[in-house]
Amino acid sequence: MTSEANIQKAADQLWKAWEDGAPSAPIRGLLDEGDVDAAYAVQEINTKRWLGGEERVLSGRKIGLTSVAVQKQLGVDQPDYGMLFADMEYMDGEEIPMSAVQQPKVEAEIAYVVAAPLTGGHITMVDLMASIGYVVPALEIVGSRVKDWDIRITDTIADNASSGIYVLGQTPKRAGDFDPRLCGMVMTRNNEPVSVGAGAACMGSPLNASLWLARTMAKAGRPLGPGDVILSGALGPFVSAEPGDVFEARINGLGSVRAAFAKE
Amino acid sequence: MKTLAELAEYVDEAARTATEIPQISDTHPLSVEDAYAVQALSMQRRYARGEKRIGIKMGLTSRAKMIQVGVSDVTWGRLTDAMREEEGGVVSMSRFVHPRVEPEIAFLMKKPLSGKVSALEAMSAVEAVAPALEIIDSRYKAFKFDVGDVIADNSSSSGFVVGTWHSPEIDISNLGMVLSINGRPQEIGSSAAILGNPVRSLVSAARMVASAGEELKPGDIVLAGGATAAIPMEAGQSVLLEVENLGQIGFNIGD
Repeated sequence: MTSEANIQKAADQLWKAWEDGAPSAPIRGLLDEGDVDAAYAVQEINTKRWLGGEERVLSGRKIGLTSVAVQKQLGVDQPDYGMLFADMEYMDGEEIPMSAVQQPKVEAEIAYVVAAPLTGGHITMVDLMASIGYVVPALEIVGSRVKDWDIRITDTIADNASSGIYVLGQTPKRAGDFDPRLCGMVMTRNNEPVSVGAGAACMGSPLNASLWLARTMAKAGRPLGPGDVILSGALGPFVSAEPGDVFEARINGLGSVRAAFAKE
Repeated sequence: MKTLAELAEYVDEAARTATEIPQISDTHPLSVEDAYAVQALSMQRRYARGEKRIGIKMGLTSRAKMIQVGVSDVTWGRLTDAMREEEGGVVSMSRFVHPRVEPEIAFLMKKPLSGKVSALEAMSAVEAVAPALEIIDSRYKAFKFDVGDVIADNSSSSGFVVGTWHSPEIDISNLGMVLSINGRPQEIGSSAAILGNPVRSLVSAARMVASAGEELKPGDIVLAGGATAAIPMEAGQSVLLEVENLGQIGFNIGD
């Protein structure tokens, strides 16, 4: 079993990388191989630190590793989760400084906004669908506090599931207004298509991923509630961002959203 | 040196007998122009056997494929009635060498179209749109070819299935597509992978047939190009394509 001391050490190392804006070495060597529980314990230490200092407030959660291809790559058969904080949000088209995220990669997602508490022993798909307030397209800009994205499963979970920042579209739709499985997605960089996909790429449906999250968060003691944003997972491959890049994601039936990176 | 007519016979015989052949480029590297001449001559042989041209297919319509083959333009090939397979039917492996299946969007032409046209002109010549599955089968060993090889080989076209026709007023620029084998999704993408919008492929089709002195005729089918990677076919598989707003089509693969 991974020692408490090592869990604290890993949390401190990632905290420092985040504070300094300079990526660190992987932390996986401090944890037992594949010890996912220990990795979430590392994440929770830093979540408490951010919330305790009152400089950050929770705005939602993100789901990562929602594609079978990425799960295989990291040798896992489950997605993972991380915290979203209110200061991670940028507006549609607002200029994003390159310093906002370390080693940024962009992915197009569906964001569900929760309107009612999702608590209890066994949350069902019916509970989830009833609790969704509205849905918007989103761009998530993931980042890694681990140098060169040299991550295994425990590195990314400990590092808040490689959360960075996010942008929400401004055309809220109801959950029944579009097809979550078959909706087409195209993401362009500087007007050139660079990533395509569909809802089914995210665990068969972004609602499947969201239900996994709702259940997992209820068990972990951080249940989803009114106003929480769910970034449900990428609908296509991610793409690295360079200074000056402008990304746009279009999700059929949901609308579009843009992320514009500053030139330097 | 073989003549273009001899090369046409070479690729046509390979297709007719489902026999794997070495690449033409190993011994006779072809310019794009000569490759299209070989394709046209090989198609003449098919028409002489009674096959009818019923449309065209577009190839290399994704940036990834263009880079892979080292070209900067799309390619095209001819479709004949002998290539059409029944929706929901059984497709036999016996007439192919090493077939692969890929998800596409099909156009049905209502008016003639040829030359340099706008997207608006192109769409106003369209009667209907449909989901489609194309069976591509390069006759070359290991599916390896250069651009001259693949064009001469009728752009690998060998079979296709078209689903129910829908109104061309449906926006086809970004339709989610899920290709499943035996009920499990294998490839997931969007019609936007086809040149950013399949309508651009139709515009290219009009330009390319014009350069061969042909036109798209009323009743012609145009396959816009693959939206995802192609999946190798095996006997016993059940293939299903779901396309957002256009329904689903499929076939089973027999020996």
